[in-house]
Amino acid sequence: MLAFFTSDYVIHLLILIGIYFIVAQSFNLSFGFARIFNLSHIASYAVGAYTTSLLATELNFGILPALGIGVLLSALFSLIVGGIAVRLEAEYFAMGTIAFSAMVTALLINWKSITRGVLGVPGIPRPVIFETALESNTQFLIFVGVVAALVQLIFGVLYYGSFGRSLRAQGEYENGAKSLGHDTGAARMVSFILASMVGGLGGGLYATYVSYIDPSVSSFAEMVFVLTIVIVGRPGSYWGILVGSAAMILLPEIFRFVTMPSEYLGPLRQLLYGIVLFLLVYVRRANLFPVERKL
Amino acid sequence: MTSTLNVLKIENLSCNVSGTQILNDINVTFEVGETVGIIGPNGSGKTTLFNCISGFMPGISGHLYLKDKEIIKASPSTRARLGIGRVFQNFGIFRDMSILENMLIAFEGKRPILTTFFPWAKMNRVHKEQALELLGRVNLAHRASEKASSLSGGQMRLLEIVRLLASNAEVFLLDEPTAGVSPKMKDEVVGLIQSLIELNKTIIVIEHDINFIQRFCERIVVLDGGKVVLDDVPEKVRADPRLQEIYFGKA
Repeated sequence: MLAFFTSDYVIHLLILIGIYFIVAQSFNLSFGFARIFNLSHIASYAVGAYTTSLLATELNFGILPALGIGVLLSALFSLIVGGIAVRLEAEYFAMGTIAFSAMVTALLINWKSITRGVLGVPGIPRPVIFETALESNTQFLIFVGVVAALVQLIFGVLYYGSFGRSLRAQGEYENGAKSLGHDTGAARMVSFILASMVGGLGGGLYATYVSYIDPSVSSFAEMVFVLTIVIVGRPGSYWGILVGSAAMILLPEIFRFVTMPSEYLGPLRQLLYGIVLFLLVYVRRANLFPVERKL
Repeated sequence: MTSTLNVLKIENLSCNVSGTQILNDINVTFEVGETVGIIGPNGSGKTTLFNCISGFMPGISGHLYLKDKEIIKASPSTRARLGIGRVFQNFGIFRDMSILENMLIAFEGKRPILTTFFPWAKMNRVHKEQALELLGRVNLAHRASEKASSLSGGQMRLLEIVRLLASNAEVFLLDEPTAGVSPKMKDEVVGLIQSLIELNKTIIVIEHDINFIQRFCERIVVLDGGKVVLDDVPEKVRADPRLQEIYFGKA
């Protein structure tokens, strides 16, 4: 039994849970807490992934500084998106951010001289910490675990402090928050930037883990996957996102123990995600989006 | 320059939304510690006037002075920080939050965003104590950790008003504070308003019922068709034939 839990297979799944948890928790900050439907979150993730990868492979940066710059570029990206899209009202904001996300995907595919287009970026190295390259997955799992714990800690401070309260207030009733002196636009923007930074960090971690990325990292399917994690974990929940990440990573693994031709396996997974998302949206339809209130 | 006794001065205020004139050249002054009722038929512009004062209304022109400071261009949150408090017709409380959090959020409105990241700051403990003290005044301290959605209409109203004390409001804009409130709670709401009067706050109340408003207002402003028709002490307003005209039409 112990052999199973320390097997490469399980460690691989745990690493994925850790990475997607980081991405989903940051998405939760905007979607669950601030109630802004930012569908370009996966583009922040892609910006982080590509920045880290290209700096590490083309310019021989160490992975840790490359990750840091990836996080900063994700922040810059969110400033651009936010600066333009934050002016839009909720529904249009979602559509506007889809447009930004599509632009990022288009850039990744077509700006071949930098991104290598659909060929993707291979050979992304693992991080080196205290002169040890985290070549084994067990080492990498510890690294991801520590980063995920730090993210959880920081988000705990954000969620349970007055910043989180201000965010939730504007999410529930923006005019009410304004009438008590809260600068709701600034709070939203700050949450947007923080979410993007941590999303970018998740992207960079993913890149250095799998050592190869291509433009599919910013695909809409990937965005839907992150959205599903947050909806499974309940938007605005603190620990729920961890449960959601674990559930969504582990759920399709049941197919692995069913003998089935591989050509069915991929579509079946997508189908499964679809069913889960649909059922949960149906169950939570009453409180997924803020209810508009008059003055 | 206006006298310092004027806490809020409205000058030539007009409001025009997509071609419809909702408010037309309003001139009213409110003094420190004054309690003023605003009445008028439906659609006379009462709530719009509150929206203009608290900053939620586009398309307005004229001047608005809060303690001699022009605020016509200020955002709603800036106005709130300067001391304009607003109670919404259909309850401005945050139902998904606890009662205590509803209070804390009022204390925190003035904090610069970067200081809000630190939940361990001493300020938070102080705010919590003050919040519980204020909740005690409306008998809600023992329910502080319950969700605000569990409150009755009257209790929500009490919470909303007492919350404005936490945000340090000086001018209280109360839009139908007793709408949706049971008769028993109505007295409590009035009691709370009276305690605000003792604190020398300026209170402006929108109400339909002139008898009710007379219980605590020293002055009544009557709006009709976006204009100030009467602005006087209750007795004179009541006696004025124009009031009958507005409500019941010409004899």
